[in-house]
Amino acid sequence: MTDAAPAAPRPLIDSNDSRRPHGLLLVAIPVFLVAWLVIWPIINAIGRTLWRPDATGALGFNLNSYVFFFSDQYSINNLTITLWTTLVCAIVLLAICLPISLYLRFSHGKLPAYVQAMAIFPMFVPSIILAYAFIRVLGPNGMVDILLNSVGLPKIRTPYLTPWGPVIGLVWDNIPLTVLILLSGLGNVANQAIEAARDVGANRFQVFWHIILPRISNSVLVAISFAVLGIFSSFTLPYLLGPASPEMMGPFMNRTFREVNDPLNAITQAVITFCFCIAFGLFYVRSVARNQGK
Amino acid sequence: MRRATGADPVRQSGMRRDAASAIGDVKRGGRPGRHDGRKNMKRRDFMISAAGVVAGSALLPRMSFAAEGVIDWYTSSDTNILDFWANTVKPAFEAANPGISINLVDAGDGAGIIAIGERAMAAKEQGADPQADFFESGDALLPSGAIEAGVYANIKEAGLSNYAKVNPLAIESDYSLPYRGSQVLLAYDSTKLSAADAPKNWDDLVTWIKANPGQFVYNRPDKGGSGGNFVRRAIHQANGLDPAVFTVDNYTEEFGNEALTKAWDILSDIAPSLYDNGAYSSGNTQSIQLLSQGVVTMTPVWSDQVLQAISQGVLPENTGLVQLQDLALAGGFTRSIVIENGVNRDASLKLADFILSEEIQSAILTELGGFPGVSWDYVSPELRERFADIVPTSIPTFPGGDWAGAINDGWYRNVAPNVDRNS
Repeated sequence: MTDAAPAAPRPLIDSNDSRRPHGLLLVAIPVFLVAWLVIWPIINAIGRTLWRPDATGALGFNLNSYVFFFSDQYSINNLTITLWTTLVCAIVLLAICLPISLYLRFSHGKLPAYVQAMAIFPMFVPSIILAYAFIRVLGPNGMVDILLNSVGLPKIRTPYLTPWGPVIGLVWDNIPLTVLILLSGLGNVANQAIEAARDVGANRFQVFWHIILPRISNSVLVAISFAVLGIFSSFTLPYLLGPASPEMMGPFMNRTFREVNDPLNAITQAVITFCFCIAFGLFYVRSVARNQGK
Repeated sequence: MRRATGADPVRQSGMRRDAASAIGDVKRGGRPGRHDGRKNMKRRDFMISAAGVVAGSALLPRMSFAAEGVIDWYTSSDTNILDFWANTVKPAFEAANPGISINLVDAGDGAGIIAIGERAMAAKEQGADPQADFFESGDALLPSGAIEAGVYANIKEAGLSNYAKVNPLAIESDYSLPYRGSQVLLAYDSTKLSAADAPKNWDDLVTWIKANPGQFVYNRPDKGGSGGNFVRRAIHQANGLDPAVFTVDNYTEEFGNEALTKAWDILSDIAPSLYDNGAYSSGNTQSIQLLSQGVVTMTPVWSDQVLQAISQGVLPENTGLVQLQDLALAGGFTRSIVIENGVNRDASLKLADFILSEEIQSAILTELGGFPGVSWDYVSPELRERFADIVPTSIPTFPGGDWAGAINDGWYRNVAPNVDRNS
């Protein structure tokens, strides 16, 4: 491109060598920040939990804090509830968001616009507000109970301060991102492909299963890994809506660090949480890499 | 901040403030046109450097200098305290001392105050201006070395005219001034429980909780001082009702296990009779919310917080308040600190003297719902009469230090999980 005739219009994307340092400079700031504020603390945390002084004061390789975590039933319970919450949230999110996205993709008119606005709305609500609204509505003697009572029905078993409290809150909080990602994935599904399938007699489910799903599987993976990453390490909603015990890893880490004054175990919990998150993160990276390879 | 114990600050609000970091907007460079390549590059260079300057100037610390006559005041307390200062103390002090004003700054939490204390120490070393004069709530021992460095003013020696009135039990250090206290009370719904039947000692309370399953809730001990001090009251109960058994430096694992295990037994015993078969709210506010929604009949509350809730209509006028008479629920004092090397040291000492005056000490009782920092003898008889019900003969405290960690960890491991909530 560089040796194009002088009369030719300049290409929109200029690969002129003299511009490259600017590009690298622009990238350098985020790369530096990530290395400084994310990568370095990770290495530091892993190092500090693995190489530390033993009883005699000699610095050495020491897995004690990890052994303690995995032999401590209380910590295991907290990890289990975190995995359970994450899994349940992921399933419920898909079950809610896939139909919404399909509806938004294939409908026209005014109503879908309202539905979309409703689906995106949680993005603008801070989770603390959400938590208190949740307590007022679904909490004991909340709005739902009052409405049920007014028509003579019994009260609901409130999810407040049970493991279902964070699940409901986190699902609601994650709907916008999931819907947006799925919707962008559905943009890749050509109407012609669906019409062609209909022409050869495919019913709605077959169209979904054989035409739509293979094309959006990547988006589903991305949406789920995004949601799962956020949910696994969430803090505010499990803190305000969840039970005192077992607690999710976010509140558990924070409490161990601040209230129990036990930085070593808090960092160990953080490293373990990070290992789970990186496993989910690899799904995302793999699917992005696969997508770019196409 | 209300103190859960003598030395351990337990944040009483449900959530911590996030440190919001504001970084200025970086203006986006204009999109280059098609034809004027070189000129464009210059413009792009300019835009990049301009954006850098904008971003850089937003990141630079704002330079400012403390002004003479403006007391830089910091607090780690909650908004009700900040409101009290803004609406009551500040106008009264400024009216009484023309030419001096107070700049009220919220330092967030205890760690925020300590950070400003560290800044004052650094400023002292460099002979610079610490830009701080007065801590509404602080611990003279933190940051460590502040007293030795001469950063905190010796209040005892400063010649305050009202210093002799301070409640001697509350004095912890010559370098801090206990000017208000808070205590935990039991608040109850008086439509469901009459004042005559309200429990007045621990055994009655346990009997009442068991006779009325699901009607009592306390918050997790690390999430707010109301639940925290309820748990500490159980520890006192298990150890002979003697607060002197626990001191800030007598925690050992052996003694801790022995003393606390007995308390965990008491608390586990009542757990199945608590709200939702043993659920614990996640903060002082949430406990009040459960009380206000009529879900529970009784919950421990901070005295100042519940009075504010009543005055704001969150809780009804007829909310009952009761204190255990065998041994009150623990409370604590908030201590103010004057910065020795602050520009307005003398004005700040005037302020310290002013908050011990009868005017402010009475307002702490009537408007804040707290305790006076001065001895009860210096409170007007009429107020003493009015608050007789909730005022204990002593204010037991519980030390912080290693005890706080042991209590917070032990409660979660031994009390919280014991109950099968679905049974």
